[in-house]
Amino acid sequence: MTELFLHDWRGWTPMRDVPTDTRLDSAAKPAGGSVPAMLRRRLNLVGRAVCDMLPALDPEANRVVLHASRHGDGDRTLELLYTLAENDPISPARFGLSVHNAIVGVYSIASDSRRSQQAIAASGAEWAALTIEARGYLADGEDEVLVVFADQPVPARFAAYAPETPPAAVALRLGARPAPGSHRLVVSNDAAVDTPRPPQPLDVIDWLLATDDATLACPMTHRRWQLAAST
Amino acid sequence: MTTPLEHELKEMIIESLELEDVTPEDIDPEEPLFVEGLGLDSIDALELGLALQKRYGITLESDGEASREHFANLKSLAALVEARRVK
Repeated sequence: MTELFLHDWRGWTPMRDVPTDTRLDSAAKPAGGSVPAMLRRRLNLVGRAVCDMLPALDPEANRVVLHASRHGDGDRTLELLYTLAENDPISPARFGLSVHNAIVGVYSIASDSRRSQQAIAASGAEWAALTIEARGYLADGEDEVLVVFADQPVPARFAAYAPETPPAAVALRLGARPAPGSHRLVVSNDAAVDTPRPPQPLDVIDWLLATDDATLACPMTHRRWQLAAST
Repeated sequence: MTTPLEHELKEMIIESLELEDVTPEDIDPEEPLFVEGLGLDSIDALELGLALQKRYGITLESDGEASREHFANLKSLAALVEARRVK
């Protein structure tokens, strides 16, 4: 089976502040500096964060991008539904940015990337789905792929139906071969995974920041991941 | 010299297109609104069409050439609203 190696990562969340780690951005509002202002105005906070992180990991913008979000842009989607319920015409801009591939779409325009992009929602198994898709692209011959997991809080109207979701986005550059300073992703099947809820982007950030042998567990797929030295 | 209608349209453009950092003074009535000048794009054109419909009751024909003329700059947009508004 194709192995996965973590070559580098970036994260954004206002929920954690680790000044010593430059890979993590804790700003309340990410800069979104790589995106021209006229495009940037349409991005939500996680969108700005993603458009900051991807150019940092892939300045040439020539990697495949896999983008997962469990809930997508719940606020824009809900506004569209309210508008439809009133029989009013819906906003084309809001519709355009409510689709699941909206953020990577803006990224591809801003960075002039012509590579494949994939948008994933997996009802809570996003992290597991990302690693499977990443393996697929790497087995197909890609040297590295960019993997993104981003979510923002769901609107209050939906809060009873979804676990609390802190705002966070994380982007990882994964490869099939080790690189200087990289870590191997060790996956194990574990029927006893009893983590109460599916891993969210903030859990991935906490796992990446952890200095011990922390594991990231996915209850839906009964799998856990650990980072080990490359060699 | 900006007319009251032109000023109203500037505010409508800024609000409906969520132009964060643009003030009414930044919009030159004779500069192009799209691509060059203000730099709006095709999604903005649709959004602007919707705003004109909601605010002034103007429904634009699907003829691209005519829309291009109406949306050329703020002056042509004001002329369209003057001629076709029903509210």
